[in-house]
Amino acid sequence: MLELKQMSRAVIVGHKSIFEETVDALHKANLFQIEDFNEDDSGLLIGRPFENVDEVSKKLIKIRSIANLLGVKDTESKKKDTSAVLSSLDSTLEKLDSELDVKTEKKNKLESELKDLESLKKELVPFAGISIDLDYYRGYKNLAVFTGYVSEDIESAVSGITSSYDMSYDPKEGTLVLFVPVEKSAEVTDMLAKYGFRELRVPDVSGVPKDLLSEIDSRESGLMEQIESIDAEIESLKGKYADFILASNEVLSIEAQKSEAPLRVATSESTFLIDGWIPDEDFDELKNVVYEATNGRAFVSRQEMTEEDEKAVPIEYDNPKVASPFEEIMDLYARPRYKELDPTTLIFISFPLFYGMILGDIGYALILLALAVGIKKAISSEAIKPLMNVLIYCQVSTLIFGILYGEFLGFPLASLHTDHGMEEGLIKGFETINLFASPVGGEMITYPVHRTHLVMTMIVFTALLGLVHINIGYMLGFINENRKHGMSAAILEKGSWIVIEAGLLIAILGYAALLPSMATYLGVVVFLAGFVMLLKGEGIKGPIELPSLLSNSLSYTRIIAVGLSSIYIASTVNLIAFEMIWEPGTQIGGMTIFAIIVFLFGHALNTVLSIIAPGLHSLRLQYVEFFGKFYEGGGRKYDPFGYIRKYTEE
Amino acid sequence: MATETLTTMDPAGLKAIGAGLAVGLTGIASGIAEKDIGSAAIGAMAENESLFGKGLILTVIPETIVIFGLVVALLIS
Repeated sequence: MLELKQMSRAVIVGHKSIFEETVDALHKANLFQIEDFNEDDSGLLIGRPFENVDEVSKKLIKIRSIANLLGVKDTESKKKDTSAVLSSLDSTLEKLDSELDVKTEKKNKLESELKDLESLKKELVPFAGISIDLDYYRGYKNLAVFTGYVSEDIESAVSGITSSYDMSYDPKEGTLVLFVPVEKSAEVTDMLAKYGFRELRVPDVSGVPKDLLSEIDSRESGLMEQIESIDAEIESLKGKYADFILASNEVLSIEAQKSEAPLRVATSESTFLIDGWIPDEDFDELKNVVYEATNGRAFVSRQEMTEEDEKAVPIEYDNPKVASPFEEIMDLYARPRYKELDPTTLIFISFPLFYGMILGDIGYALILLALAVGIKKAISSEAIKPLMNVLIYCQVSTLIFGILYGEFLGFPLASLHTDHGMEEGLIKGFETINLFASPVGGEMITYPVHRTHLVMTMIVFTALLGLVHINIGYMLGFINENRKHGMSAAILEKGSWIVIEAGLLIAILGYAALLPSMATYLGVVVFLAGFVMLLKGEGIKGPIELPSLLSNSLSYTRIIAVGLSSIYIASTVNLIAFEMIWEPGTQIGGMTIFAIIVFLFGHALNTVLSIIAPGLHSLRLQYVEFFGKFYEGGGRKYDPFGYIRKYTEE
Repeated sequence: MATETLTTMDPAGLKAIGAGLAVGLTGIASGIAEKDIGSAAIGAMAENESLFGKGLILTVIPETIVIFGLVVALLIS
């Protein structure tokens, strides 16, 4: 349960004539992780890819570019037969490619036409307010034409220069069209410069601008319609070919993987040598698979694992299925190393436990449970699923603690008698039962547990819980250290902490006169012995970390602290909504709706916080306080040579 | 003769102020400590995403300060 899968280093050797068969079989088995071969002075060379590699990768690129163009998304679909896909691949691909080519070409043409119109329109717009045919703007011998922007109407200035002119000015656009005799043009140019004249090019078309513009508009909308209809056609191509694209992409990816496999393998002139890793339990199967594929002509052997190998072993978890979602949380930190204990199963217990203890509210548990189940159902992504499973486990724990705490969306379910009188609960007639007096803070332990009235007890309880958790960490650290560096290192580095704790415990009990007073001295002696062991085991680092014993266990008080903050937010929302804005029992009106809105928004906010705050704090307790005691991590993922088929089957 | 006026402060009020200071100041302290670590951690994550776990741990280490503040506040009030 706390162990990783045992791995073996295996080597497969054979003649090159059976290379393809062997690679095929390995790929199909999806068990063997190939260790990439680096050329050295052994005389072996990296293999050459199989012959079909060029063709396969060419097609693959085509398929992927088409998929990209069409925006084909991963979807669930019926699995297709590989050989059927392969046999129809070439013809279908060609057909699809040519169909798509025609359509995209047409679309590009239309789009460039649209662009041209667009730029012509931009040129025409300034002339829209002047209804002179554009042909009249050019081709004069004795007339000079000025077209451009000016800042104001300059009629008077023009008439000062010459009386024979014709001028149109559009004050909206600021466009000026001015016809003057050629001999006056130099004078007019000087005058225009004073008015900030900027010249405009006359568009190279004929007709009245206004009519032209409306014609362009109607042509544009026609083009748009055509483009839309082509888009719809492309979309229908996507619908028609999506299955084919997904399936052939998969088949080709597999083929490409196989053809490129020799690049990772050592070869001599006539033999190949595949080096890699396989879980112990699958070794026999691998042997069988290779034997069957090659009629016993390839040889599979298990290698002795060296110390170097142990650093490079790929790591595969070996957890019960219920605990496996938490592997995701392990990976977020780091995969274990080969000889380390795998704490996934412990996280499976402690992460939801702390989460539930922090949140502990029936209402939020039900909301988040529904949310998690809904997302899990709606999204079939493999990446989301484990996280949703983790969330579901956490909510089950929250529900249990919610029942224990008797809380629903920040309302206490049971009524409570305190010094200040009775606090009404949500369920009428559900009275809090006193169980027994807490040993700290003069508080009374009740059912349901009212956290807000048991702060002292909960602080002490959570710190003690932390102490237990930390000590489990030390014990795991002891086992890890024993495996890595032997018993004496384990006793000095990890055992010393337990000795120190025992010494402190005895001394405190003696001081508090729960044990005979001699115990105090005994405790101090034990503590000092532990201290010396620690100094020997960890060096100066050990004593420096000594205070962490206190700070780490006090860190677990966040379980109650964060929990209380969540309750206070919830009950503040309730207070604002149902006491300050509208009190139940009074007249129902506009304020009732407002109160409900405040209630919904407040709790929506707190629901989001209810994933983040308890989740992060619970995670931190695992990562920092717990893992710090034993975990190193840094193993690499076991990633066997093969492919998990989604759209095709053999 | 000078008259002495005696003003007493409400102990409950002082307690509340103390509790507020405990949470508020430690919160600011955690924030200051976390801001540098957090930005460095995000920078590291941009380079190598697998550092998320370690980044998170390093970022939340100073959070203990405010948790202690909160505990102290709960003890006071």
